[in-house]
Order: sequence, then C-alpha cells, then structure tokens
Amino acid sequence: MIALRGVSLVYANGTRALDAIDLEIAKGSFVFLVGHSGTGKSSLLRLLYREQLPTRGEVTVDGIRVDKLRRSRVPLLRRNVGVVFQDFKLLSDKTVWENVAFALQVTGARTRDVMRQVPRVLELVGLAHKARMFPSELSGGEQQRTAIARALVNNPKILLCDEPTGNLDPANTNDVMDLLHRINLKGTTVLIATHNALVVDRMRRRVIRLEDGKIVADEERGYYLASAGTVPGAERLQAPAQSA
Amino acid sequence: MDWGRLRFFLGEVWRNFTRNLIMQLTAIGTVTVTIALLGSFLFTRDTLGSIGDDVLKKIEISVFLRDGATPADAHKLAAELSADRRVRSVAYIPKALGLQQMRERLRGQIDTSLLTSNPLPDALRVRVVDPEQVRAVAASIRMKPGVANVEYAEDAVQKLLRISDVLGRIGLGVVVLLIFTAAIIISNTIRLTVFARRREIAIMQLVGASGTYIRLPFICEGFLDGLLGSALALALLELARFQLLPKVAAALPFLPMRAANINQLTFGLELLLIGAAVGVVASWLSVGRYLRA
Repeated sequence: MIALRGVSLVYANGTRALDAIDLEIAKGSFVFLVGHSGTGKSSLLRLLYREQLPTRGEVTVDGIRVDKLRRSRVPLLRRNVGVVFQDFKLLSDKTVWENVAFALQVTGARTRDVMRQVPRVLELVGLAHKARMFPSELSGGEQQRTAIARALVNNPKILLCDEPTGNLDPANTNDVMDLLHRINLKGTTVLIATHNALVVDRMRRRVIRLEDGKIVADEERGYYLASAGTVPGAERLQAPAQSA
Repeated sequence: MDWGRLRFFLGEVWRNFTRNLIMQLTAIGTVTVTIALLGSFLFTRDTLGSIGDDVLKKIEISVFLRDGATPADAHKLAAELSADRRVRSVAYIPKALGLQQMRERLRGQIDTSLLTSNPLPDALRVRVVDPEQVRAVAASIRMKPGVANVEYAEDAVQKLLRISDVLGRIGLGVVVLLIFTAAIIISNTIRLTVFARRREIAIMQLVGASGTYIRLPFICEGFLDGLLGSALALALLELARFQLLPKVAAALPFLPMRAANINQLTFGLELLLIGAAVGVVASWLSVGRYLRA
C-alpha cells in the first residue's frame, strides 16, 4: 500500500529531515510512527500526500509513484489519502455537517452522494447529534472526530494522522484512538505519527521509530520506547501538560 | 442539473464577494471609472469624427475662371469636372450670381451698395466625395485651361485630420493605462480574498479539490467586479446621454451633436465585455500566482 525506497529529504535551508528511508506498509495495517519532535515524522507523512517531494528516492502510495506525480494529478491522490492534524484544521464558520460536506462538495461530488455520505461518517464518528454545531461549541475530541469524519468522507484507502491526540486530554485521546481503531477494522490503512507513549503502548501495534531522519527500529506489536517494555509511569506522561 | 451543487458553488462565490466589501467596491469603482471614460472617449471620438466629416463635406473648392471665359467655357469645364469620380457636385456661379450671394452674405456688415462694378470672376464651386481627396482634386483642377485660381480651406482640412488622429492616439493611451490600473486593483482585491480564505484553500487542496475548482470562485469574483463596474459605467453614460448631452447641444448649437455611427446595443455590450474580460484576466493571474506558490 505504501512503499518508500531510498528516500531522502533535505530542505532548502540544508536541514536533512529524512535520510535513506526504506519502508513498506501493507494494506489494512495500523502503524505508529514515533520519535522526538524534529525527527522527520511529519516530513514523512507529507511525502505520502505529496505536500512535499523527496530530494531523492521513490515514494509509492496505492500503486502511484507520488514522487513522479504530475501536479494536475495530485487531487486524485489526495482523495484516496485522508489526513488529520493535531490542530484539526476545521473551518470555524461552518457547522460540523458543513465541514464534512465541504470535502465532498469541493471535489465536485453530486448532492445525492453528499446527502448519503455525510450522515454515514458522522454516525461512524458518533457526532450525528451535533451536526448543526460549530467547531467552537465542541470539545477538542469532538473537533478531532469531525476532522476525522472529513478525512474519511471521500472513502480514502489510507488515513494519515499527524499527532491526532496532541491537543486532547486522556479521555478524548481514548475516544479518538478507539475511533481510529474501528476505522482500521473496516479496512482503511492507518498511519499515526505521535509521541504519546500511552497510546502506543496501549494499542501494541507496529511501531516505526525515527531518529534524526533515519528508521532506528521497526517492530510488530512494539512499544513507545524501543525494547524497553512499557514506559515507566506512563500514566504520568498522560498528563495534559505533557501531551503536546 | 444538480441544483445543490450549483447552490454550493454560488454560495462560495457570494461568500468571496461579500468578505471584503470595501475592497470589492473599490475594484468595481475603478472599473466603473475606466469603462465610463472609455465609453465617453469613444463617444467623443465618434462625435468629433462626424463633426469633422460634416465640416469636411462642406468644404468647397472655389474655381475662379479667367476673365473673358464664356458661359459655354464654364459649362464645358463643369461637365468635365462632373465626370471625375472623386467629385460629388459642381455648381456654376456666374459673376452676377456670385455678387448677389456675396451681398446677401455680407448684408449689414459692409455697405455693398458702394460697389459700382462687379469685381468677381465667374466661378465653379466643386465638392468632393472624400474629404481627404480635396488637395488632389484641387491640384488637378488647377491644371485645367481657363482656370485662373483655385482656393479651398486647406489649413482647416489638414488641421481637422491631424486633430482627430492625435485625439485617437491620446485617448487610446489613456484607456490602456486605465485598463491596466483597473486590472491591478481587481487583482489585489482577489488576492485579499484569497488571503482571507487561505485556510479554506489549504483544506480544499488537502481533500483533493482540483486546481480549476479552487480557482473558479475567485475568477467569478473578478468577473463580477468587471461586469458590475462596467454595468454601472453604462448606466452613468446613459444618464449623461439623456441629461448632459441636450445641454451641451443647446450650448453649442453649431456642432452637430449626433454620434450617428454608434449602435447603442453593440456599444454597450462591447463595454460590458471589456470590463468583464479585465476582471477575469486579472483574477486568473492573481489566483494562479498564489496557487502555484
């Protein structure tokens, strides 16, 4: 589903964000991307939805060579790749329903499809009853679930999440992670960049660790800290002050 | 037809349009001024042109015959000149008739009763078809036997031709400059809207909206600026035509104030089209530059 071969990314200012990355992620998997801030997690995700082009190497997503994709074809890629961010990126002057519908409407979807798909994903993320509310009237978790609904409404095969729980308290974090888990069970490939140790350790899924732009560990059913078992005092790490 | 889709799109355009109303009004106002000036310039040029044509049409070549030319000679020359394709009309003015016309023309200014003899020669008055050929026709008449002298308002003809030429160039320059200004202001307005909506644009790009789809509402915004501006200008021009023109015509009765050659409908449509085109091109460039960056 996702394949990176010899991928390096050097920014214009000379910062080496990724260094000779080789990576494969199978269809339907649930993968954590962990590492300190600035180790290249977000850069790697950006390569996958072609917000960024690699300096060197091949990036393949769902059979498409993203690094060679023509600009005019990028929208087609993005309809197959949902993206969720730490700061939700919702439109404050639109309701939950409108925010989700927006993703369909701007891709030229028929009204019939909008009327069918939006209630379906709102039901999935458990916000059908708050469809008429504005983002400012929602909790952080609800806002993130709205953003996830928006990312899912086009039925993407892949869902990329960049610190999806970074702004959430533990209860909301659990809600969002449960939702992502359910989405994965329906067959969507989910890739989550995070440094929330508890989330990673609770789920026990594949964990890819980045350090200085390199993959230093890649474990099935891994932990947040490499081969260290669960994080000592993980509950303390969950304190909101530490979560961002 | 998917009305829901259309309604969403028009909603987007409306949202763009109303987001920065002051700037929008500035853009529309600039287009209005530009198109109103363009319209009145074209109108003035046309009117001047028709005034010039009128004056030129009235220019006569006076052909004075040698003393001793008989009426038969005069008629022969007149027939000869009439055969020339460039000549519209030839009138034979015997010296007696010439004197009578002069007396009428100068009545009350000069006491012509003091004239004891007729100083005028026999004359022909020649009008040409095309005012620009006055000089050539006059030159060829001068060569004819029996012709003593040929006179026409050479200076007036040359000046009028030159003035209308210069006016045409200046007007064109001013209009090009104004259109350029209007385009810049519209493009800045659109850029402000793009900036105000950068979050939405980022999300559109993220969820896979095509470049065309993202651009279209902004192009429509520019189109609306241009169209509304020029429509307003047309309204102003119409107002001027009905309110102002009769007064000007009354103040300057000797000018033939009729732009006979202007087809109101075509003229109006052309101005609307120019305004709308300026809007579309300006917004296209403005949005294009932002989306590429």
